[in-house]
Amino acid sequence: MIKKKQRILSFSEAIKEAQTQAFKLDKNVFIFGQAVDKTGHVFHTTEGLLKKFGKKRIFDTPNSEQAETMFAAGAANNGLRPVLIHHRVDFMAYTFDELVNWISLWSFKSSGKSSMPLVIRAIIGRGWGQGPQHAKTLHSMFSYLPGLKVIMPSSPSEAKGLLLSSIMSNDPVIFLEYRALYNTKEHVPEKPYFIDLNEPRKRMSGKDLTIVSMGASVLTSIQASENLKSKSINVDLIDLRSLSTFNIEKIFLSVKKTKRLLMVEDGWSNGSISSEIITRVMETGIKLKKPPQRICWPNSHIPMSSVSEKEFYFDQKDVFNASVKLMKV
Amino acid sequence: MTNKLKNSDKLKIYYTLKFIREAQNQIIKRYHPADKMKCPMHFCTGQELMPSVLSLFLKKQDSIYSHHRSHGFYLAKGGSLKKMIAEFYGKRTGTNGGLAGSQELSNTDINFYSGTILSGALSMAVGDAFAKIYKKENSISVAVIGDGGMEEGIVYESLNIASKMRLPALFICENNNYSTHTHLRERVINPKAFNKVKPFGIKCTYINHQNPEKLYSKLSQIITEIKKTKKPQFVEIQTYRFNGHVGPEGDDHFNYRPKNEIEFWKKKDPVLLYKKYLSKKFNNFKKLEKKFDLKIKKVIDAAFIYAEKSKFPKDFKRYNFNNTYSKVVKKFYKNEIKLFKEQEGHKPKPY
Repeated sequence: MIKKKQRILSFSEAIKEAQTQAFKLDKNVFIFGQAVDKTGHVFHTTEGLLKKFGKKRIFDTPNSEQAETMFAAGAANNGLRPVLIHHRVDFMAYTFDELVNWISLWSFKSSGKSSMPLVIRAIIGRGWGQGPQHAKTLHSMFSYLPGLKVIMPSSPSEAKGLLLSSIMSNDPVIFLEYRALYNTKEHVPEKPYFIDLNEPRKRMSGKDLTIVSMGASVLTSIQASENLKSKSINVDLIDLRSLSTFNIEKIFLSVKKTKRLLMVEDGWSNGSISSEIITRVMETGIKLKKPPQRICWPNSHIPMSSVSEKEFYFDQKDVFNASVKLMKV
Repeated sequence: MTNKLKNSDKLKIYYTLKFIREAQNQIIKRYHPADKMKCPMHFCTGQELMPSVLSLFLKKQDSIYSHHRSHGFYLAKGGSLKKMIAEFYGKRTGTNGGLAGSQELSNTDINFYSGTILSGALSMAVGDAFAKIYKKENSISVAVIGDGGMEEGIVYESLNIASKMRLPALFICENNNYSTHTHLRERVINPKAFNKVKPFGIKCTYINHQNPEKLYSKLSQIITEIKKTKKPQFVEIQTYRFNGHVGPEGDDHFNYRPKNEIEFWKKKDPVLLYKKYLSKKFNNFKKLEKKFDLKIKKVIDAAFIYAEKSKFPKDFKRYNFNNTYSKVVKKFYKNEIKLFKEQEGHKPKPY
């Protein structure tokens, strides 16, 4: 429980703090993108940075996602650490050439002699009537590419450490922030700290069922898991953090213990991270008591109206029910 | 920088012209039947003028981001022929450790980068130029693009940013009239690329001759201006490739280029024209020419031997990620912070 003296930050504040501290730690870090500096402030995550650090460190760009992305690549290739922000991940569709043909393979095609230390922050997922062009996640598409680290934080303290690590990482990172998380709060340590980008985090320990999740769906899973205690179901909950370079050992060990696997993922089920993890667990030959299950979005574009939204997205009740079903003998 | 060309520099240009030409001719000659260079190659015979003259201006800290017809610019930037041939052989001593081939010839040591998906390199040069300003360096970033690449949208996004942000970039468009086998007339309303660049407030120069000394003085002026004003400039050079689009075989049996057009440009061969000019300027030209030929042969032969002897790469998968961090990252934090009631909020707010 919260100790009174602990410092509580929201997800937005944690991201702002990570960027502020990154600016102080390395003068080569800069932030740019469309409408990032003066108004809006990307869900308050860049508020105050312009005043504090000046327009050399944070600036607006024209509506040129492709050029912005290669601008980041060129700057990173010459030793800077750019942070490029897209207000919605959907705009990153413009930049697939840059990610697919340049950034993701920069280290590979130089045999490791060149590196590309850049971060692309993008806002993903559900939010108030955003509809088909403003609420996608696209994370498994990015994860498909060798050479890109795809990071999806699940809470404020995670966001701060993961973003600082992403900025200081010498690999290109796509940093995906689930919109519904910005208002969440928790204790966040004040000093700069870094989280291993390849190491998933155990969020809850239990012996009955393994749930693997990422981003906002971790929160949904936590809420469901708390309620599952009333049914005496103890969940082993793993937060992936990184979607392309996660160390899978932690998942294998957990599934070996619980013999049950449920994937919870905000995103389409076709070619999802869930598909990948289930495949890899099955490939090990670990004997499960029930076939693994996944809760994802239906393979359909995202509707706008709140009634249809309700039908489209899953919630903690769905995770709860799926878990109960998995536990039935 | 002086506009006057010293005798020694004239010979340097001539040597580079010949070196780029002969190196490529030898690759074309040796490609088959040995079949040891197994990658698509886009040769630039006929287009040697710009790289040869540009080479006199560039220092190590200046960077080039080039299109895929890059051999000339790579060598002009001081790239090692040994490493280039080794790269074509797919050997680990190659520029890219044998993992990329001719199409993406890149070498961090000399700040030379290229790629084959048309126009990304130009765009990357803009970011590089920004870093030069950011770090207060007095070097420039050179982007080389073809007339085909000038048709991609990203070019215009990037030109706008370079101009608006006042970045020290030199954009060079080598207009050889053809995108693969399709003539400019079939592709665009306005065949002169620089006309599309002018509206961005970028000073443009159009070069339609094969005279190295005239080009030298023009480039000298342009590069001095870029460094002084920190504003980008654009140079379009009318040129022609003698080889096929992708080699080593020719492709004129497709008859996509009129014979008289090829003949017209062969008469304007930059290597032959300059040779003719210099032979009248230097009394000992024959002797010099012989010396150059011998040196070039030696360098090329040595490069092929080096490539043959080198080993193939091992365990290429490890290069996908660098997996390193800035030195400020000393240890990782093990996050054990528990969740609190506040987090049950999970209600998206309108933005």
